[in-house]
Amino acid sequence: MRTEDHRDRKLALGAYALGDLPPDERAAVAAHLEGCEECRAELRSLEGVAALLPLADPARIEGPAARPPADLGARIEAQIAAESAREGRQRRRRRFRLGVGGAVAAAAVAAVLAIAILPLGGGGAGESSPAQQVNFASLPNGVSINATLEPHAFGTEIEMYVSGIRSGTLCRVFLRDAKGRTYSAGSFRYRWGADSHAKLSSALDLSQAAEIGVHAGSRTFTAPVGQATALVGGADTAAT
Amino acid sequence: MGALTRERDVREAYAAHSGELYGFAVRSLGDAGLAEEAVQETFLRAWRAGDRFDPEIGSLRTWLFAILRNVVIDLGRARAARPRVAESGIEPSVEPFEQALLAWQVEEAMRRIGEDHRRVLLETHFRARPYSEVAAELGVPEGTIKSRVYYGLRALRVALEEMGYED
Repeated sequence: MRTEDHRDRKLALGAYALGDLPPDERAAVAAHLEGCEECRAELRSLEGVAALLPLADPARIEGPAARPPADLGARIEAQIAAESAREGRQRRRRRFRLGVGGAVAAAAVAAVLAIAILPLGGGGAGESSPAQQVNFASLPNGVSINATLEPHAFGTEIEMYVSGIRSGTLCRVFLRDAKGRTYSAGSFRYRWGADSHAKLSSALDLSQAAEIGVHAGSRTFTAPVGQATALVGGADTAAT
Repeated sequence: MGALTRERDVREAYAAHSGELYGFAVRSLGDAGLAEEAVQETFLRAWRAGDRFDPEIGSLRTWLFAILRNVVIDLGRARAARPRVAESGIEPSVEPFEQALLAWQVEEAMRRIGEDHRRVLLETHFRARPYSEVAAELGVPEGTIKSRVYYGLRALRVALEEMGYED
């Protein structure tokens, strides 16, 4: 019957679209398509997908699906919370500069300044470890990298100063804990002549940080954290 | 309205899309650590630019993949030791990226369809085995293989459309 014929032909459309049918059956489907608008529309839809199939790699289809680490979401949230807090602080400062007078604004600014100064002065209330200055040693001639690490409830705020590397270099900063786990602190691009202090943050608590590192282009530089380090100095002269 | 400006919006976006973004980043960068970094950077950039996201213009998924695309290109540049040829205005990494994204979408769609359909498409199409041979191996009539190819392609299309594919 016609309806059964239609059904059979329709079910063959996948094999037809992929070019898998033997010649006689292919001809029969082609004849049916002549008179069946529904099957023609269905074929167009299947052909679009069939054309994409060769792009896929069967080994990747059958391999296990890659899953992000379970704590990645929490680390991203912590970093966003950190930026959020910092932004709020900048907004309050800006408001003051715009000339909002009065005791309330002055008090707010005093509070903000206190927050900004205390950690550098050796640890704010409720923060366990004091801010640290880290100098990177063993750098190529002319390269200088320093970082100031400030403890916060969200993790660690990092101010990084880089000089002597190629302008435009992408720098990706990270912290590592004692077990070697890496916590991203974000990235910045180094530009000659521009403001080269980059402000970054990482979800890792400063008291847990054992190492700070920066991937600069194809090179990676690291420095230990958590021990007394010299204050800002010039470029280290160690060769390469 | 609809912009990605609250921290909760980012959490929801992460829950909905991080798996796909990460899966593609691993495929594209070939490294789990870099992929992790790429996903993290993508959500940070999305949040920073959150007020520019407009659901009237495109889906959140499409927007996040567009950000990931830039992040992957930045990471690729950082990894390449040699200076790039971008001064000419040519973007050498754009074409492979779009193709890699499409290939990954097809692979992901293949993973999402039913096991019976996936198996039959893998054997007949990717391994080019005759329908009769696959039918014998699975212990079903040859007509069943043919109809599974049909329903498999339909399911694949639906899965691709869910990922934003259009003809």
